[in-house]
Amino acid sequence: MNTSNAMGDRRLKFDRLVAVYYMDMFRYAAWLCRDKSIAEEVVQEALLRAWKSLDALRDDAAAKQWLLTIVRRENARYFERRRLETVDIDNLTASQSALLAEAPNEELNDLREAIYGLEDDYREPLVLQVLMGYSTNEIAEMMGLKQGAVLTRLHRARLKLKENVADEVNL
Amino acid sequence: MSQTTENMNCTDYKEALMADPGFNDKSGHAETCADCQAFSTEILVLNEKIAAAMEITVPELVMPELPDIDTKNVVSLSSRRVVSKPAWFAIAATVLLAAVVGIRMTGPGTSYGTLQEQVLAHVDHEASALLPSTTPVSDRELSRAVPKDIAIMNHDAGLITYAKSCSINGKDVPHLVIQGTRGPITILLMPDERVAEVTTFDGVSIKGIILPVGDGSIAIIGDREEQLDQVKENVLDSVMWST
Repeated sequence: MNTSNAMGDRRLKFDRLVAVYYMDMFRYAAWLCRDKSIAEEVVQEALLRAWKSLDALRDDAAAKQWLLTIVRRENARYFERRRLETVDIDNLTASQSALLAEAPNEELNDLREAIYGLEDDYREPLVLQVLMGYSTNEIAEMMGLKQGAVLTRLHRARLKLKENVADEVNL
Repeated sequence: MSQTTENMNCTDYKEALMADPGFNDKSGHAETCADCQAFSTEILVLNEKIAAAMEITVPELVMPELPDIDTKNVVSLSSRRVVSKPAWFAIAATVLLAAVVGIRMTGPGTSYGTLQEQVLAHVDHEASALLPSTTPVSDRELSRAVPKDIAIMNHDAGLITYAKSCSINGKDVPHLVIQGTRGPITILLMPDERVAEVTTFDGVSIKGIILPVGDGSIAIIGDREEQLDQVKENVLDSVMWST
């Protein structure tokens, strides 16, 4: 295979992956950092890193987890570089509040705020389970935790959400 | 918390459901408990609403400018000689740390004073093991690197992406790399290296720990920001010496 063909195939493979998983990458990043502008930066960096290391992806079936792991690391790198302070939910920037402002109704907005207010340790496995569809075993692998720790965090996350929104959300 | 589903009571069932609404209730507890049936419905509704709340709108994709890649020289990961940026950081950090702790790395025949020095020198020697990866080693590779006469190890330590048998003090030592939250983490299982107490060491961007385990020890080296306590627990739970 000549070089231009190889390059073309590589780009085609990458474009297909991005087309399938870009939304997941963005939503995961947004819920990790709780800021849509930062999520855009994180995803841009993640795409670049994924492009450069595409040859490391041997199993296409593992592509989603591979991309989300890259997003996770880029998010950590971003905050390592910036050393941002903890988000205060009562004092959000425009791009932070943009994440909350678009809920279609008040009930979902209350729930979105409650998810937003969860500690990182609880919010991340919940996003991976509910939004990304991973099993607790897979989440444990991605987060470097034991499955029992993941189950505990998920239990506590739902407990907090239930306590926070039970009055507002019609359960 | 576990998801053992045999002989569940209401508390067990509700806890399992709160952790995973899709868990497989093999006990059939909810079929005979109206309260738990109602609770199950409530949690499933909550879960659907959580999913809806998380479905934020996604901006249109703006693809970054992708640099040209030299596809002529792309070879499989295992034989690639190019060291990635994180691995470079690890090497640089190791060399800096070596300078700080006075390790002599001057070529063949070099003798290292302490186990800690040998461990760091070995990590440096096999820096190519520190490539970020999402590809786990197979059970076969793991069992080859960790023979049963040395230890029994499962995959619970984390995503194991490198497993080789190496040598420390002339003894076979399983050398593993797992992917941590802050990058690759090196684990050396040293059944013959007895240490009296826990030894910790810090570098510019890495840190490590040598744990006494039975008649041997286990070394764990990762990024400075890595939560090694959690890794340590996972590793200790996943390894059992055979001797």
